[in-house]
Amino acid sequence: MGKYLLRRILQMIPVVLGTTLLIYALVFALPGDPVAAMFGDKPVNQAVAAQIRSEYNLDKPFIVQYVLFLKNALTLNFGNTFAGQPVVSVIGRAFPVTVKLALMAFVFEGVFGVIFGIIGGLTKGKWSDNVILVLSLLLISVPTFVTGFILQYLFGVKWHVLPATAGANPGFMDLLMPAVVLGSVSMASIIRLTRTEITSNISEDYVRTARAKGMSNRQVILRHVLRNSLIPVVTYLGADIGGLMGGAMITERIFNIQGVGNTLFQAILRGEGTLVVSIVTILVMIFVICSLVVDMLYAVLDPRIRYA
Amino acid sequence: MSQEENMAVKADQQADVASSGPLLEVKDLKVDFTSDGRDVHAVRDASFSVYPGQWVAIVGESGSGKSTCAMSVLGLLPGTGRVVDGSIRLQGRELVGLGRKEYEDLRGSHMGLVPQDPMSNLNPVWRIGSQVKEALVANKMDVSREKRSRLAQELASSEDIKLRSSDDELFISSADLPGLLKAARQVLDEAGVPNPDKVMETFKGEWDVGSETRWGVARSLIRAGVGEDRAWGIAKAHVTGSDMNDRIAGLLSEAGLPDAATRARQYPHEFSGGMRQRALIAIGLASRPDLLIADEPTSALDVTVQKKILDHLKGLTDSLGTAVLFITHDLGLAAERAQHIVVMYKGQVVESGPSLEVLQHPQHPYTKRLVQAAPSLASQRIISAKQRGQDAERLMEHHVKGESTLERSEHVITVEHLTKEFKLPRKRELFKAVDDVSFSVKRGTTLAIVGESGSGKSTVANMVLHLLTPTSGTVTYENQDISGFKGHELMEFRRHVQPVFQNPYGSLDPMYSIYRSIEEPLRIHRIGDRKSREQRVRELLDMVEMPESVMGRYPNELSGGQRQRIAIARAMALNPDVIICDEAVSALDVLVQDQVLRLLNDLQAERGLSYLFITHDLAVVRQIADEVVVMQQGRLVEHATTDEVFDHPQRQYTRDLLDAIPGGKLRLGLD
Repeated sequence: MGKYLLRRILQMIPVVLGTTLLIYALVFALPGDPVAAMFGDKPVNQAVAAQIRSEYNLDKPFIVQYVLFLKNALTLNFGNTFAGQPVVSVIGRAFPVTVKLALMAFVFEGVFGVIFGIIGGLTKGKWSDNVILVLSLLLISVPTFVTGFILQYLFGVKWHVLPATAGANPGFMDLLMPAVVLGSVSMASIIRLTRTEITSNISEDYVRTARAKGMSNRQVILRHVLRNSLIPVVTYLGADIGGLMGGAMITERIFNIQGVGNTLFQAILRGEGTLVVSIVTILVMIFVICSLVVDMLYAVLDPRIRYA
Repeated sequence: MSQEENMAVKADQQADVASSGPLLEVKDLKVDFTSDGRDVHAVRDASFSVYPGQWVAIVGESGSGKSTCAMSVLGLLPGTGRVVDGSIRLQGRELVGLGRKEYEDLRGSHMGLVPQDPMSNLNPVWRIGSQVKEALVANKMDVSREKRSRLAQELASSEDIKLRSSDDELFISSADLPGLLKAARQVLDEAGVPNPDKVMETFKGEWDVGSETRWGVARSLIRAGVGEDRAWGIAKAHVTGSDMNDRIAGLLSEAGLPDAATRARQYPHEFSGGMRQRALIAIGLASRPDLLIADEPTSALDVTVQKKILDHLKGLTDSLGTAVLFITHDLGLAAERAQHIVVMYKGQVVESGPSLEVLQHPQHPYTKRLVQAAPSLASQRIISAKQRGQDAERLMEHHVKGESTLERSEHVITVEHLTKEFKLPRKRELFKAVDDVSFSVKRGTTLAIVGESGSGKSTVANMVLHLLTPTSGTVTYENQDISGFKGHELMEFRRHVQPVFQNPYGSLDPMYSIYRSIEEPLRIHRIGDRKSREQRVRELLDMVEMPESVMGRYPNELSGGQRQRIAIARAMALNPDVIICDEAVSALDVLVQDQVLRLLNDLQAERGLSYLFITHDLAVVRQIADEVVVMQQGRLVEHATTDEVFDHPQRQYTRDLLDAIPGGKLRLGLD
């Protein structure tokens, strides 16, 4: 187990190097000159521009820029944004908001996804199952920004039940609607996954054996159907945390939340390579760590899986 | 006589009537399934009874409705299945129409199940022990003492011990055991019993925690020569009742699992098939049901394991007074184990009666076919169509071919000092799957390799097929070492040596039509054009006696036997000299098995094929093989002609394999 863990952690190094290089290259390849854009409508002062370029290493070849970024990143020095703020403090402001949003969405999709999935699976073919299936299909097929705008208009603008936008330092109520929107697609997937697992597990031979033992229906469902059905659901949920963090971009734009997604969006627009790469690096790390935790969890839940 | 006494007498009489009547009575049972909106009658007017303590076998091929009957008794019909008519009475109580709750009360405590497939019937995520525990908890079993049926109580009491109170049924606990053994040793010395060490050894073997009772301990001591009062004194002082974990271990060791306390903490995937089946037997009997339904309990297991497990189950159910409804497709097995046989065919009971009666004087045509086809009961090599003189023309053809083969060597395939080692995970030393095996296959004959699973016989087959590289030793085909074959030579080799594998469900690609499956080898070897290949496929289908209409169908639309015919047709497509059959008929019903064996035999006679036949079933060997190689733990332990092996087995292992053939010792009323 220890060896396996070490190997997995060492594997993270090439993953992080590869993704950062790729992102850096993409930002570098963006059309337009970020320094020229900083001058806005005013004529570009070549001397000032050259100074800015050298300050942010923009005058050096791409690969040198990347290596310099890596060298600084190792000492946790991510440099400054074009506006002069340290990148670390920008990230420090954006991440807590997104983490809060992602966790709320996570709880929402986990709880409701599993509950509706169980109801659907246990009443397969009945009206409740059909309603749940149609609803989940609807949520999967409609894009997040459509659901987002509809809820925002109905609950925020028309009925004034919830705040329409979040703004700075959002609280629980501010983030409730965004979290529901963010988690809705994954919730629909979890409903379908849980439902399918239950309908297939319920006809397993060991479930029949359990009934033949004289166990009550409730016990059979709890111990043999649900326990086995939830293994893939738990792993799906774990893998989804990373997706929620990264996928918050659209939701944060709609509800004006100053989180990671929004910051990343602005940074891409301004061509700020350092900021973009820094944020993406952290997101990649979260993804990799989540998938490691999921794999560990899998071994705990399913005794057939052992890592050596 | 007062009124009260009168009532009591009446109640007694009623109880007597109930105990002498059948335990289970199924009358005119009709079970339907709904498929595509149509009703399919799976069971039609089936009637049979099981008396207390009796073994009754339901015999029939797959799809005959035998399992459906069993599941309707348990109220566990799958999918759309439902009882539409008839009655099922357990101890006089009608089961048809019972609600879910009432059924839950009956299952486990009144009727238990030992299911068919040990691989899929244990939940992979729970420990074995906790799955046994569920059965005990669900029926609120008292884990400290034995619950014995009245029949078993009477049997036990009629021996030299009289059961006095329910406390005499208390189990030994793991905490009791050391003290009990110490006291037993002491009392043996005091009583001057000769050879006390040996007696203690038998005690240790018999006194399983959570399984042996107080009176059992007293009986052992008295039989060893200890005075009655002293023996009971020790039993009372040191046998005080087990707890849950002891009882779980006791149940598992009763079912024949050694080292049960450790085993209980393991998961199903750490068990072999035989061990899982033992665990399932422990579960089925955990709540001491009056009726145990055993649905093909050993079909998925080796013959030797099958024998051990059934012997054990028989002993266990006899001592508990449990009646068993035994579902099987093997008539020999049924006749050997059950007192009463019910034969089912296409959803109907076609014959029922005492086992020997059914076997020796079968009335219904289907039963007659079944008796004739049962490989365990027939004892002759199949006579081919050619020998029956039906095909003189082909016989001539074969003669011409025979002359040309004479010029070549007598042995088609020779295996010399073949050894294969595998590396096991987390072990330094290599595992010898095959250890210095030598034999040869004579042209136009059948050599069978027999042995239990794990004896290395399939590994040999894979090496002969050039699918595995031997660690050392050689395989020669037509005097050429096959290890040097590459490219074109290997293609030629593959063309002449073809396999037929065990599982006809897995060896045909479900996405390929039957035509494409048979045509594929021709296409790979670039033989003929589209038209001639189609012609060849037609010929092949004709050869395996399948209609041409199956060409456009897919494997899932065919039965197991039909699929195996397709697999044989595919193997025959390239006109091979040698066919290697790896358990090619093991998964098939007796009647289908018989048909496939006859087909293989006729093909051999017509085309001078040589077979290397890998099997664990000696009954099949007798029907098809000329020579037999017996393998045990990777080594070749016996090599002789089939008759010699059957008539004068040299090794104990071979004798065990022969003894394990179900019904092998039964005599038949057929000519």
